[in-house]
Amino acid sequence: MTTLVGAEFLKLRTTRGWIGYVLALVVLTGIGTAAQVGSAAELDLITPEFQRDLLSGSLASLIAFLLGITSVTVEWRHGTITRTLLVTPRRELHVVAKGIAGFLAGVALAVLAVAVVLAVAVPMIAVEDASFVLDGEVGARIGRIVLGAALWGALGAGFGLLLKSQTFALVAGILWILLLEALLTLLLSLVDVDGAADFLPAQALGAFEGSVEDALSPAAGGVVGLAYVIGIGLLGWVRVEHSDVT
Amino acid sequence: MIEVERLTKRYGSTVAVNDLSFSVAPGTLTGFLGPNGAGKSTTLRAILGLVRPNAGRTAVLGRPYRELDAPLERVGAVLETFDAHPGRSGRNHLRVLAAAARLPTSRVDEVLALVELTGAARRRAKGYSLGMRQRLGLAAALLGDPEVLVLDEPANGLDPQGIRWLRDLLRALAREGRTVLISSHVLAEIAQTVDEVVIIHRGRLVRHATMAEVEAMAAGAARVRSPDAERLASLLAEAGVDVRSLGDGTLAVAAGPERVGELAAAHGIVLHELSAERATLEEVFLELTGTEEGA
Repeated sequence: MTTLVGAEFLKLRTTRGWIGYVLALVVLTGIGTAAQVGSAAELDLITPEFQRDLLSGSLASLIAFLLGITSVTVEWRHGTITRTLLVTPRRELHVVAKGIAGFLAGVALAVLAVAVVLAVAVPMIAVEDASFVLDGEVGARIGRIVLGAALWGALGAGFGLLLKSQTFALVAGILWILLLEALLTLLLSLVDVDGAADFLPAQALGAFEGSVEDALSPAAGGVVGLAYVIGIGLLGWVRVEHSDVT
Repeated sequence: MIEVERLTKRYGSTVAVNDLSFSVAPGTLTGFLGPNGAGKSTTLRAILGLVRPNAGRTAVLGRPYRELDAPLERVGAVLETFDAHPGRSGRNHLRVLAAAARLPTSRVDEVLALVELTGAARRRAKGYSLGMRQRLGLAAALLGDPEVLVLDEPANGLDPQGIRWLRDLLRALAREGRTVLISSHVLAEIAQTVDEVVIIHRGRLVRHATMAEVEAMAAGAARVRSPDAERLASLLAEAGVDVRSLGDGTLAVAAGPERVGELAAAHGIVLHELSAERATLEEVFLELTGTEEGA
């Protein structure tokens, strides 16, 4: 499996698709962090809550999700799936390799995002004669952000396996996260079952990362998020297993 | 050894392959022929585990492709669709495959040299000509130095020199004892290259024969040229033999050269040419499939 995951990363590195994702993450995270610190009141800069909230995993998670989708759908789009399945005819291995690669790409993207936040925020806060406190609580938050983005990366791979069409999967994924889940949450609150919205994927993983309040506990959010990864991954495997490569 | 046993594949209401059975013996070079839409590509993809049959089974080296260990080292394949990412260089395309199959990168450079693509190896694949794409496909097929090759229209896009190069390569591979199953629409090319042919039509097997058997399909016919062709034609017709004039003193005769020669000798008729007729693969193909489309 290590060999197959290594080959997946070689696929990623030998095209230019990933560069746009990484640039978007670095630039948007850097600008967002600078704007957040720059617009904060001097007293807020030293509060642990403000400093923790600078560390948001949302963008890294979104990009990990999209990269996970792309890593799978690009194979069907360009027909490279034929050669991939000739080398790895046991399709369950292909599915697991894609999931692990998505997971690890999520880790890398989240670590990069945290590094950018710290690289921008720490000197800006220092200018105000304050310091960024890297305590255990911040460390735990970083850990959840990294693990959350990893789950998003694997979820993206599963989503891509399930839908196969690159355009459809990317549009559907973005619409789900940015629009449909919010609409569904609203609908559920209108029929007085708003607690059910906590179990939707973005809500659950947001609760795990700590970016969503009044939701599931981080542990419960993580378990629900993992269940989504496994469930959608299994559906994706069934789809790929029964697909003819023509 | 490649085995196809009672293979049936449907796409919706269309039956692409219908109860097809044949086998390819180890060490033979076999042509796989049929008109467009006969089910050749579907059959090859079923052999390679890319298409799920509705019924029947396929096996390579005694096992379904999906159950082969290290499949790239057992079977190499070239399929009609281009299967490299357009933004990846040819060399990197092969590096990815080598990495997944645990093959050394040095092998990548070897096969690039073998298919004469070293000069373009670091260019992105989207800039490749059709012929270069075919060479890259062949490089991918040969990467694991496999004992079985399944090639779907490998000559497509190759120029005449490329076709000659491919023919020489296939012959060299066959001499090394590899089993090759090759589909092509260039019948003359196939006829020069293969030991056997499998001809299918509308998803069904219509003939599995050696090239010697194909050529023997016109056995009992002869071509004769004589300055006294008119008299010879009359004598043959009197003897109950069908004769057709081809002009220029040449006759096509529905009898073996022995009978024609004896008749001519008995009547003192001078012959300038007498030969047994051999059927061409194209003639046999057209007769068996009832079509003038390409294979």
